Amino acid sequence: MSTLPLIAGARERDIIAWHEGLALTLPQFQDDVARVAGALPDGACLINLCENRYAFLLAFAAGLSRGLQTLLPPNRSEQTVADLLAEHAGGQVIDDAWVNAALADAAPLPPPQLIDADRLAVTLFTSGSTGRPSAHRKRWRALFAGAELTRRRLPFPDGPCNLLATVPPQHMFGLETTIVLPLVSGLRIDTGRPFFPADVQARLAALPPPRVLVTTPLHLRACVEAGLRWPAVEFVLSATAPLPVELAAKAEAAFAAPVLEIYGSTETGAIATRRTTNGPLWTPYPGVRITPTEDGACAEVAHLDDLRQPLNDLVEVEADGRFRLLGRSADLINIAGKRASLADLNLKLQAIEGVLDGVFVMPDHADERTRLCALVVAPSLSNQDILERLRRVLDPAFLPRPLYRVEALPRNAAGKLPRQALLDMLHTLGRD
Amino acid sequence: MTAQLPLEQEVARLIVDTLNLEDVVPEDIDPEAPLFGEGLGLDSIDALELALAISRTYGFQLRADDANNAQIFSSLRALSQHIERHRTQ
Repeated sequence: MSTLPLIAGARERDIIAWHEGLALTLPQFQDDVARVAGALPDGACLINLCENRYAFLLAFAAGLSRGLQTLLPPNRSEQTVADLLAEHAGGQVIDDAWVNAALADAAPLPPPQLIDADRLAVTLFTSGSTGRPSAHRKRWRALFAGAELTRRRLPFPDGPCNLLATVPPQHMFGLETTIVLPLVSGLRIDTGRPFFPADVQARLAALPPPRVLVTTPLHLRACVEAGLRWPAVEFVLSATAPLPVELAAKAEAAFAAPVLEIYGSTETGAIATRRTTNGPLWTPYPGVRITPTEDGACAEVAHLDDLRQPLNDLVEVEADGRFRLLGRSADLINIAGKRASLADLNLKLQAIEGVLDGVFVMPDHADERTRLCALVVAPSLSNQDILERLRRVLDPAFLPRPLYRVEALPRNAAGKLPRQALLDMLHTLGRD
Repeated sequence: MTAQLPLEQEVARLIVDTLNLEDVVPEDIDPEAPLFGEGLGLDSIDALELALAISRTYGFQLRADDANNAQIFSSLRALSQHIERHRTQ
Protein backbone atom coordinates (compact mmCIF):
# COMPACT_ATOMS: atom_id res chain seq x y z
CA MET A 1 0.00 0.00 0.00
CA SER A 2 1.41 3.39 -0.89
CA THR A 3 0.70 6.17 1.54
CA LEU A 4 0.57 9.95 1.55
CA PRO A 5 0.44 12.39 4.42
CA LEU A 6 -2.86 13.92 5.47
CA ILE A 7 -1.07 17.21 6.11
CA ALA A 8 2.07 18.19 4.21
CA GLY A 9 4.25 21.24 3.76
CA ALA A 10 3.52 22.65 7.23
CA ARG A 11 6.01 22.60 10.11
CA GLU A 12 5.10 22.04 13.74
CA ARG A 13 4.51 25.67 14.72
CA ASP A 14 3.13 26.76 11.37
CA ILE A 15 -0.23 28.37 10.88
CA ILE A 16 -2.72 26.29 8.88
CA ALA A 17 -5.60 28.72 8.77
CA TRP A 18 -6.91 32.10 9.86
CA HIS A 19 -10.20 31.77 11.68
CA GLU A 20 -11.95 35.07 12.34
CA GLY A 21 -8.65 36.86 12.77
CA LEU A 22 -7.06 34.17 14.95
CA ALA A 23 -4.11 32.09 13.77
CA LEU A 24 -4.77 28.35 13.92
CA THR A 25 -1.53 26.44 14.34
CA LEU A 26 -0.85 22.92 13.20
CA PRO A 27 -1.14 21.41 16.74
CA GLN A 28 -4.49 23.16 17.29
CA PHE A 29 -5.76 21.95 13.93
CA GLN A 30 -4.65 18.37 14.63
CA ASP A 31 -6.41 18.50 17.97
CA ASP A 32 -9.62 19.75 16.35
CA VAL A 33 -9.44 17.09 13.61
CA ALA A 34 -9.03 14.43 16.31
CA ARG A 35 -12.18 15.60 18.09
CA VAL A 36 -14.27 15.61 14.93
CA ALA A 37 -12.83 12.22 13.95
CA GLY A 38 -13.85 10.91 17.37
CA ALA A 39 -17.45 11.99 16.81
CA LEU A 40 -17.91 10.47 13.35
CA PRO A 41 -19.98 7.29 13.29
CA ASP A 42 -18.38 4.11 11.89
CA GLY A 43 -19.23 3.34 8.29
CA ALA A 44 -20.66 6.77 7.59
CA CYS A 45 -20.29 8.80 4.43
CA LEU A 46 -20.30 12.50 5.10
CA ILE A 47 -22.60 14.86 3.28
CA ASN A 48 -20.62 17.97 4.10
CA LEU A 49 -22.85 21.06 3.92
CA CYS A 50 -20.74 23.23 6.27
CA GLU A 51 -20.94 26.95 5.49
CA ASN A 52 -17.93 27.68 7.65
CA ARG A 53 -14.76 26.72 5.78
CA TYR A 54 -12.93 25.65 8.93
CA ALA A 55 -15.80 23.35 9.88
CA PHE A 56 -15.74 21.90 6.35
CA LEU A 57 -11.96 21.44 6.51
CA LEU A 58 -12.17 19.66 9.87
CA ALA A 59 -14.93 17.29 8.78
CA PHE A 60 -13.15 16.55 5.49
CA ALA A 61 -9.79 15.85 7.17
CA ALA A 62 -11.41 13.85 9.97
CA GLY A 63 -13.37 11.77 7.44
CA LEU A 64 -10.24 11.13 5.39
CA SER A 65 -8.32 10.09 8.50
CA ARG A 66 -11.08 7.61 9.42
CA GLY A 67 -11.56 6.28 5.87
CA LEU A 68 -15.04 7.85 5.62
CA GLN A 69 -15.57 9.53 2.29
CA THR A 70 -17.19 12.92 1.75
CA LEU A 71 -20.17 13.28 -0.60
CA LEU A 72 -20.76 16.66 -2.22
CA PRO A 73 -24.22 17.11 -3.80
CA PRO A 74 -24.66 19.31 -6.91
CA ASN A 75 -26.73 21.75 -4.82
CA ARG A 76 -28.16 22.10 -1.34
CA SER A 77 -31.84 21.76 -2.23
CA GLU A 78 -33.88 19.64 0.18
CA GLN A 79 -34.76 17.10 -2.47
CA THR A 80 -31.16 16.67 -3.62
CA VAL A 81 -29.93 16.00 -0.10
CA ALA A 82 -32.87 13.66 0.59
CA ASP A 83 -32.09 11.68 -2.59
CA LEU A 84 -28.44 11.40 -1.61
CA LEU A 85 -29.36 10.16 1.87
CA ALA A 86 -31.75 7.60 0.38
CA GLU A 87 -29.05 6.23 -1.92
CA HIS A 88 -26.16 6.07 0.54
CA ALA A 89 -26.40 3.87 3.57
CA GLY A 90 -24.84 5.61 6.55
CA GLY A 91 -25.16 9.07 5.01
CA GLN A 92 -24.47 11.61 7.72
CA VAL A 93 -25.26 15.26 7.07
CA ILE A 94 -22.51 17.44 8.55
CA ASP A 95 -23.15 21.14 9.12
CA ASP A 96 -21.50 23.84 11.21
CA ALA A 97 -23.59 22.99 14.30
CA TRP A 98 -22.63 19.31 14.04
CA VAL A 99 -18.92 20.18 13.93
CA ASN A 100 -19.22 22.62 16.83
CA ALA A 101 -20.94 19.98 18.94
CA ALA A 102 -18.18 17.49 18.08
CA LEU A 103 -15.49 20.00 19.08
CA ALA A 104 -17.18 20.54 22.42
CA ASP A 105 -17.99 16.95 23.32
CA ALA A 106 -16.17 14.25 21.46
CA ALA A 107 -13.35 12.08 22.79
CA PRO A 108 -10.40 12.78 20.47
CA LEU A 109 -9.23 10.19 17.98
CA PRO A 110 -5.85 11.44 16.72
CA PRO A 111 -5.46 11.13 12.95
CA PRO A 112 -2.72 8.94 11.48
CA GLN A 113 0.16 10.83 9.86
CA LEU A 114 -0.01 8.76 6.71
CA ILE A 115 -3.03 7.45 4.93
CA ASP A 116 -3.63 5.06 2.06
CA ALA A 117 -3.03 7.04 -1.14
CA ASP A 118 -5.78 5.08 -2.89
CA ARG A 119 -8.36 5.92 -0.25
CA LEU A 120 -11.57 7.33 -1.72
CA ALA A 121 -11.62 10.88 -0.37
CA VAL A 122 -14.65 12.45 -1.97
CA THR A 123 -17.42 11.89 -4.48
CA LEU A 124 -18.72 15.01 -6.20
CA PHE A 125 -22.09 14.88 -7.92
CA THR A 126 -22.95 16.94 -10.98
CA SER A 127 -26.32 17.11 -12.66
CA GLY A 128 -26.08 14.91 -15.72
CA SER A 129 -28.23 15.11 -18.84
CA THR A 130 -30.24 12.05 -17.79
CA GLY A 131 -32.13 13.49 -14.83
CA ARG A 132 -29.86 11.69 -12.36
CA PRO A 133 -26.69 13.20 -10.90
CA SER A 134 -23.45 11.63 -12.09
CA ALA A 135 -20.81 10.73 -9.53
CA HIS A 136 -17.13 11.72 -9.78
CA ARG A 137 -14.92 9.82 -7.36
CA LYS A 138 -11.60 11.25 -6.18
CA ARG A 139 -8.86 9.30 -4.49
CA TRP A 140 -6.55 11.07 -2.06
CA ARG A 141 -3.68 10.38 -4.46
CA ALA A 142 -5.35 12.37 -7.26
CA LEU A 143 -6.36 15.33 -5.09
CA PHE A 144 -2.88 15.44 -3.58
CA ALA A 145 -1.15 15.36 -6.98
CA GLY A 146 -3.48 18.00 -8.41
CA ALA A 147 -2.79 20.35 -5.50
CA GLU A 148 0.97 19.89 -5.87
CA LEU A 149 0.76 20.78 -9.55
CA THR A 150 -1.28 23.90 -8.77
CA ARG A 151 1.21 24.91 -6.06
CA ARG A 152 4.08 24.63 -8.52
CA ARG A 153 2.31 26.27 -11.45
CA LEU A 154 1.00 29.43 -9.79
CA PRO A 155 3.39 32.20 -8.68
CA PHE A 156 2.97 31.70 -4.93
CA PRO A 157 5.79 33.42 -3.05
CA ASP A 158 8.36 31.30 -1.23
CA GLY A 159 7.47 30.98 2.42
CA PRO A 160 4.10 31.62 4.04
CA CYS A 161 1.22 32.84 1.90
CA ASN A 162 -2.38 33.54 2.91
CA LEU A 163 -5.39 32.67 0.77
CA LEU A 164 -8.80 34.29 0.91
CA ALA A 165 -11.64 32.74 -1.10
CA THR A 166 -15.14 33.79 -2.09
CA VAL A 167 -15.94 30.30 -3.37
CA PRO A 168 -17.57 27.55 -1.29
CA PRO A 169 -15.59 24.35 -0.66
CA GLN A 170 -18.44 22.19 -1.98
CA HIS A 171 -17.44 22.18 -5.65
CA MET A 172 -14.25 20.95 -7.32
CA PHE A 173 -12.45 24.30 -7.68
CA GLY A 174 -13.31 25.35 -4.13
CA LEU A 175 -12.34 21.95 -2.74
CA GLU A 176 -9.00 21.83 -4.54
CA THR A 177 -7.95 25.41 -3.83
CA THR A 178 -9.34 26.12 -0.39
CA ILE A 179 -9.22 22.70 1.29
CA VAL A 180 -6.73 20.35 -0.38
CA LEU A 181 -4.13 22.97 -1.31
CA PRO A 182 -3.81 24.28 2.28
CA LEU A 183 -3.70 20.68 3.63
CA VAL A 184 -0.89 19.52 1.40
CA SER A 185 1.13 22.61 0.49
CA GLY A 186 1.55 24.70 3.62
CA LEU A 187 -0.50 27.59 2.23
CA ARG A 188 -2.79 29.13 4.84
CA ILE A 189 -6.48 29.58 4.22
CA ASP A 190 -8.75 32.21 5.70
CA THR A 191 -11.76 30.21 6.86
CA GLY A 192 -14.23 32.95 5.94
CA ARG A 193 -16.20 33.26 2.75
CA PRO A 194 -16.66 37.00 2.21
CA PHE A 195 -19.59 37.84 0.03
CA PHE A 196 -19.98 41.54 -0.75
CA PRO A 197 -17.00 43.46 -2.19
CA ALA A 198 -16.63 45.43 1.05
CA ASP A 199 -16.43 42.11 2.94
CA VAL A 200 -13.72 40.86 0.59
CA GLN A 201 -11.80 44.10 1.08
CA ALA A 202 -12.05 43.95 4.87
CA ARG A 203 -11.09 40.26 5.09
CA LEU A 204 -8.11 40.81 2.78
CA ALA A 205 -6.94 43.77 4.82
CA ALA A 206 -7.16 41.69 8.01
CA LEU A 207 -4.85 39.01 6.56
CA PRO A 208 -1.11 39.57 6.77
CA PRO A 209 0.64 39.78 3.37
CA PRO A 210 1.51 38.05 1.11
CA ARG A 211 -2.06 37.37 0.09
CA VAL A 212 -3.87 35.68 -2.79
CA LEU A 213 -7.55 36.15 -3.63
CA VAL A 214 -9.40 33.09 -4.96
CA THR A 215 -12.64 33.97 -6.70
CA THR A 216 -14.95 33.66 -9.72
CA PRO A 217 -15.85 35.94 -12.65
CA LEU A 218 -19.10 36.87 -10.88
CA HIS A 219 -17.42 38.07 -7.69
CA LEU A 220 -14.50 39.60 -9.53
CA ARG A 221 -16.88 41.75 -11.59
CA ALA A 222 -18.69 42.86 -8.42
CA CYS A 223 -15.34 43.75 -6.79
CA VAL A 224 -14.15 45.72 -9.83
CA GLU A 225 -17.44 47.62 -10.21
CA ALA A 226 -17.55 48.51 -6.51
CA GLY A 227 -14.68 50.95 -7.11
CA LEU A 228 -12.89 50.15 -3.83
CA ARG A 229 -9.19 50.45 -2.96
CA TRP A 230 -7.75 46.96 -2.61
CA PRO A 231 -5.09 45.69 -0.21
CA ALA A 232 -1.97 44.36 -1.97
CA VAL A 233 -2.28 40.82 -3.36
CA GLU A 234 0.33 38.66 -5.11
CA PHE A 235 -2.24 37.63 -7.68
CA VAL A 236 -5.95 36.99 -8.13
CA LEU A 237 -7.05 33.47 -9.09
CA SER A 238 -10.35 32.95 -10.91
CA ALA A 239 -12.12 29.80 -12.10
CA THR A 240 -15.51 28.16 -12.76
CA ALA A 241 -16.06 30.04 -16.05
CA PRO A 242 -13.74 31.79 -18.50
CA LEU A 243 -13.06 35.40 -17.61
CA PRO A 244 -13.80 37.98 -20.31
CA VAL A 245 -10.52 39.70 -21.20
CA GLU A 246 -11.98 43.19 -20.59
CA LEU A 247 -12.94 42.20 -17.06
CA ALA A 248 -9.52 40.64 -16.45
CA ALA A 249 -7.81 43.87 -17.56
CA LYS A 250 -9.99 46.00 -15.27
CA ALA A 251 -9.34 43.61 -12.40
CA GLU A 252 -5.56 43.73 -12.96
CA ALA A 253 -5.76 47.52 -12.81
CA ALA A 254 -7.97 47.55 -9.68
CA PHE A 255 -5.82 45.03 -7.77
CA ALA A 256 -2.49 46.12 -9.30
CA ALA A 257 -1.67 42.41 -9.67
CA PRO A 258 -1.88 39.65 -12.28
CA VAL A 259 -5.22 37.91 -12.72
CA LEU A 260 -4.71 34.21 -13.40
CA GLU A 261 -7.28 31.62 -14.38
CA ILE A 262 -7.54 27.91 -13.82
CA TYR A 263 -9.21 25.68 -16.37
CA GLY A 264 -10.64 22.43 -15.13
CA SER A 265 -13.78 20.44 -14.56
CA THR A 266 -15.33 18.29 -11.88
CA GLU A 267 -14.10 15.26 -13.81
CA THR A 268 -10.46 16.35 -14.12
CA GLY A 269 -9.85 18.96 -11.44
CA ALA A 270 -7.53 21.85 -12.36
CA ILE A 271 -5.54 21.00 -15.49
CA ALA A 272 -4.42 24.28 -17.11
CA THR A 273 -3.86 27.96 -16.40
CA ARG A 274 -3.57 31.24 -18.26
CA ARG A 275 -3.03 34.90 -17.57
CA THR A 276 -6.10 36.23 -19.35
CA THR A 277 -4.51 39.51 -20.43
CA ASN A 278 -1.65 37.61 -22.11
CA GLY A 279 -3.99 36.03 -24.64
CA PRO A 280 -6.53 33.23 -24.99
CA LEU A 281 -4.15 30.26 -24.80
CA TRP A 282 -4.21 27.91 -21.81
CA THR A 283 -1.06 26.06 -20.75
CA PRO A 284 -1.76 22.51 -19.51
CA TYR A 285 -0.21 21.26 -16.27
CA PRO A 286 2.76 18.89 -16.67
CA GLY A 287 1.41 15.40 -17.38
CA VAL A 288 -1.77 16.77 -18.98
CA ARG A 289 -2.46 16.56 -22.71
CA ILE A 290 -5.54 18.02 -24.39
CA THR A 291 -6.68 16.57 -27.70
CA PRO A 292 -9.67 17.40 -29.89
CA THR A 293 -12.05 14.51 -30.54
CA GLU A 294 -14.83 14.06 -33.07
CA ASP A 295 -17.48 15.61 -30.86
CA GLY A 296 -15.42 17.74 -28.49
CA ALA A 297 -12.17 17.25 -26.67
CA CYS A 298 -10.57 15.06 -24.10
CA ALA A 299 -7.86 15.46 -21.50
CA GLU A 300 -5.23 12.86 -20.74
CA VAL A 301 -4.30 13.40 -17.11
CA ALA A 302 -1.41 11.33 -15.79
CA HIS A 303 -2.45 11.54 -12.12
CA LEU A 304 -6.05 10.32 -12.59
CA ASP A 305 -7.35 6.73 -12.59
CA ASP A 306 -9.20 7.17 -15.86
CA LEU A 307 -6.47 8.58 -18.04
CA ARG A 308 -8.77 9.97 -20.73
CA GLN A 309 -11.47 12.35 -19.57
CA PRO A 310 -13.96 13.89 -22.00
CA LEU A 311 -14.20 17.68 -21.67
CA ASN A 312 -17.37 19.73 -22.00
CA ASP A 313 -15.68 22.31 -24.19
CA LEU A 314 -14.61 22.48 -27.80
CA VAL A 315 -10.90 23.24 -28.14
CA GLU A 316 -8.23 24.09 -30.67
CA VAL A 317 -4.79 22.78 -29.74
CA GLU A 318 -1.49 24.41 -30.77
CA ALA A 319 1.57 22.38 -31.77
CA ASP A 320 3.15 23.06 -28.35
CA GLY A 321 0.14 21.63 -26.48
CA ARG A 322 -1.39 24.95 -25.41
CA PHE A 323 -5.05 25.29 -26.30
CA ARG A 324 -7.88 27.76 -26.75
CA LEU A 325 -11.54 27.23 -25.85
CA LEU A 326 -13.97 27.54 -28.75
CA GLY A 327 -17.25 27.24 -26.87
CA ARG A 328 -19.12 24.51 -25.17
CA SER A 329 -21.55 21.79 -25.99
CA ALA A 330 -24.96 23.43 -26.59
CA ASP A 331 -26.59 21.40 -23.83
CA LEU A 332 -24.38 22.80 -21.09
CA ILE A 333 -24.95 26.14 -19.46
CA ASN A 334 -22.97 28.01 -16.84
CA ILE A 335 -24.58 30.62 -14.61
CA ALA A 336 -22.38 32.29 -12.03
CA GLY A 337 -19.96 29.36 -12.28
CA LYS A 338 -22.64 26.73 -11.72
CA ARG A 339 -23.05 24.21 -14.49
CA ALA A 340 -26.17 22.42 -15.58
CA SER A 341 -27.46 20.45 -18.51
CA LEU A 342 -30.44 22.00 -20.31
CA ALA A 343 -31.76 18.51 -21.04
CA ASP A 344 -31.73 17.73 -17.33
CA LEU A 345 -33.42 21.03 -16.42
CA ASN A 346 -36.11 20.38 -19.03
CA LEU A 347 -36.76 16.90 -17.62
CA LYS A 348 -37.18 18.37 -14.13
CA LEU A 349 -39.57 21.03 -15.44
CA GLN A 350 -41.63 18.52 -17.41
CA ALA A 351 -41.80 16.19 -14.41
CA ILE A 352 -43.86 18.70 -12.43
CA GLU A 353 -47.47 17.57 -12.07
CA GLY A 354 -49.66 19.92 -14.11
CA VAL A 355 -46.86 20.89 -16.53
CA LEU A 356 -47.94 19.61 -19.96
CA ASP A 357 -44.89 20.86 -21.81
CA GLY A 358 -42.00 23.14 -21.00
CA VAL A 359 -38.53 24.20 -22.01
CA PHE A 360 -35.67 26.29 -20.64
CA VAL A 361 -33.98 28.77 -22.99
CA MET A 362 -30.66 30.54 -22.54
CA PRO A 363 -30.84 33.94 -24.29
CA ASP A 364 -28.20 34.93 -26.84
CA HIS A 365 -25.24 37.09 -25.78
CA ALA A 366 -25.27 35.73 -22.24
CA ASP A 367 -22.65 36.80 -19.69
CA GLU A 368 -22.01 35.10 -16.35
CA ARG A 369 -25.05 36.77 -14.78
CA THR A 370 -27.58 36.02 -17.52
CA ARG A 371 -30.54 33.93 -16.38
CA LEU A 372 -32.51 31.26 -18.11
CA CYS A 373 -36.01 31.89 -19.41
CA ALA A 374 -38.69 29.23 -19.44
CA LEU A 375 -41.74 28.67 -21.60
CA VAL A 376 -44.28 26.47 -19.88
CA VAL A 377 -47.63 24.98 -20.84
CA ALA A 378 -49.47 24.48 -17.58
CA PRO A 379 -53.07 25.74 -17.64
CA SER A 380 -53.83 24.62 -14.08
CA LEU A 381 -50.76 26.13 -12.39
CA SER A 382 -49.67 29.67 -11.56
CA ASN A 383 -46.12 30.97 -12.08
CA GLN A 384 -45.66 30.82 -8.31
CA ASP A 385 -46.73 27.14 -8.22
CA ILE A 386 -44.23 26.22 -10.89
CA LEU A 387 -41.37 28.22 -9.34
CA GLU A 388 -42.06 26.76 -5.93
CA ARG A 389 -41.81 23.23 -7.30
CA LEU A 390 -38.69 23.99 -9.31
CA ARG A 391 -37.07 25.50 -6.24
CA ARG A 392 -37.26 22.12 -4.49
CA VAL A 393 -35.16 20.43 -7.15
CA LEU A 394 -32.92 23.14 -8.66
CA ASP A 395 -30.18 25.42 -7.53
CA PRO A 396 -31.73 28.94 -7.39
CA ALA A 397 -29.29 30.15 -10.07
CA PHE A 398 -31.21 28.05 -12.62
CA LEU A 399 -34.71 29.24 -11.73
CA PRO A 400 -36.19 30.82 -14.87
CA ARG A 401 -36.46 34.58 -15.05
CA PRO A 402 -38.82 35.30 -16.53
CA LEU A 403 -41.07 32.28 -16.70
CA TYR A 404 -43.84 32.60 -19.31
CA ARG A 405 -46.90 30.40 -19.36
CA VAL A 406 -47.97 29.85 -22.96
CA GLU A 407 -50.67 27.90 -24.77
CA ALA A 408 -48.27 25.74 -26.72
CA LEU A 409 -44.55 25.49 -27.47
CA PRO A 410 -43.42 26.16 -31.06
CA ARG A 411 -42.70 22.51 -31.80
CA ASN A 412 -42.01 21.69 -35.45
CA ALA A 413 -43.38 18.74 -37.40
CA ALA A 414 -40.71 16.48 -35.94
CA GLY A 415 -41.69 17.53 -32.42
CA LYS A 416 -38.43 19.43 -31.97
CA LEU A 417 -38.04 22.95 -30.67
CA PRO A 418 -35.84 24.99 -33.05
CA ARG A 419 -33.84 27.51 -31.05
CA GLN A 420 -34.83 30.38 -33.35
CA ALA A 421 -38.55 29.66 -32.83
CA LEU A 422 -38.03 29.76 -29.07
CA LEU A 423 -36.10 33.04 -29.27
CA ASP A 424 -38.83 34.54 -31.49
CA MET A 425 -41.49 33.50 -29.00
CA LEU A 426 -39.54 35.01 -26.10
CA HIS A 427 -39.03 38.20 -28.07
CA THR A 428 -42.77 38.54 -28.72
CA LEU A 429 -43.66 37.80 -25.09
CA GLY A 430 -41.08 40.23 -23.78
CA ARG A 431 -42.53 43.11 -25.77
CA ASP A 432 -46.07 42.71 -24.45
CA MET B 1 -50.09 43.17 2.99
CA THR B 2 -49.20 46.43 4.72
CA ALA B 3 -48.66 49.55 2.61
CA GLN B 4 -45.18 50.44 1.35
CA LEU B 5 -43.54 53.42 3.03
CA PRO B 6 -41.98 56.06 0.72
CA LEU B 7 -38.40 54.70 0.92
CA GLU B 8 -39.76 51.17 0.46
CA GLN B 9 -41.44 52.25 -2.79
CA GLU B 10 -38.11 53.64 -3.99
CA VAL B 11 -36.17 50.51 -3.00
CA ALA B 12 -38.83 48.25 -4.57
CA ARG B 13 -38.35 50.09 -7.86
CA LEU B 14 -34.56 49.82 -7.54
CA ILE B 15 -34.86 46.05 -7.02
CA VAL B 16 -37.15 45.53 -10.01
CA ASP B 17 -35.09 47.77 -12.31
CA THR B 18 -31.69 46.41 -11.24
CA LEU B 19 -32.66 42.77 -11.52
CA ASN B 20 -34.91 43.07 -14.60
CA LEU B 21 -37.78 41.38 -12.81
CA GLU B 22 -40.07 41.66 -15.82
CA ASP B 23 -43.02 39.96 -14.18
CA VAL B 24 -42.95 41.90 -10.89
CA VAL B 25 -44.74 45.21 -10.27
CA PRO B 26 -42.79 47.20 -7.65
CA GLU B 27 -45.96 48.33 -5.86
CA ASP B 28 -47.00 44.69 -5.47
CA ILE B 29 -44.00 43.66 -3.37
CA ASP B 30 -45.20 42.93 0.14
CA PRO B 31 -42.84 44.92 2.39
CA GLU B 32 -42.84 42.14 4.96
CA ALA B 33 -42.48 39.15 2.62
CA PRO B 34 -39.07 37.48 2.18
CA LEU B 35 -37.00 38.76 -0.75
CA PHE B 36 -35.08 35.50 -1.10
CA GLY B 37 -36.30 31.94 -1.61
CA GLU B 38 -40.04 31.54 -1.28
CA GLY B 39 -40.95 35.23 -1.53
CA LEU B 40 -39.57 37.25 -4.44
CA GLY B 41 -37.20 34.41 -5.27
CA LEU B 42 -33.95 36.35 -5.24
CA ASP B 43 -30.59 34.58 -4.80
CA SER B 44 -26.97 35.40 -4.12
CA ILE B 45 -26.30 36.57 -7.69
CA ASP B 46 -29.05 39.16 -7.19
CA ALA B 47 -27.61 40.18 -3.84
CA LEU B 48 -24.31 41.13 -5.50
CA GLU B 49 -26.10 43.15 -8.21
CA LEU B 50 -28.30 44.82 -5.66
CA ALA B 51 -25.34 45.70 -3.45
CA LEU B 52 -23.76 47.54 -6.35
CA ALA B 53 -26.96 49.45 -7.16
CA ILE B 54 -27.40 50.35 -3.48
CA SER B 55 -23.82 51.63 -3.21
CA ARG B 56 -24.36 53.82 -6.28
CA THR B 57 -27.73 55.15 -5.19
CA TYR B 58 -27.25 55.52 -1.44
CA GLY B 59 -23.47 55.90 -1.13
CA PHE B 60 -22.54 53.02 1.17
CA GLN B 61 -21.23 49.49 0.79
CA LEU B 62 -23.25 46.55 2.06
CA ARG B 63 -21.37 44.27 4.42
CA ALA B 64 -22.29 40.76 5.43
CA ASP B 65 -19.42 40.31 7.88
CA ASP B 66 -20.49 42.69 10.62
CA ALA B 67 -24.24 42.30 10.42
CA ASN B 68 -26.66 39.52 9.84
CA ASN B 69 -26.91 39.34 6.07
CA ALA B 70 -29.99 37.17 6.18
CA GLN B 71 -31.62 39.84 8.35
CA ILE B 72 -30.79 42.72 5.97
CA PHE B 73 -32.32 40.90 3.03
CA SER B 74 -35.16 39.30 4.97
CA SER B 75 -37.73 41.70 3.52
CA LEU B 76 -38.17 44.94 1.61
CA ARG B 77 -38.87 46.61 4.96
CA ALA B 78 -35.68 45.29 6.60
CA LEU B 79 -33.56 46.25 3.60
CA SER B 80 -35.08 49.75 3.47
CA GLN B 81 -34.45 50.23 7.20
CA HIS B 82 -30.84 49.14 6.73
CA ILE B 83 -30.46 51.65 3.88
CA GLU B 84 -32.05 54.41 5.99
CA ARG B 85 -29.50 53.79 8.77
CA HIS B 86 -26.41 53.68 6.54
CA ARG B 87 -27.11 55.96 3.56
CA THR B 88 -24.79 58.86 2.91
CA GLN B 89 -26.70 60.26 -0.05
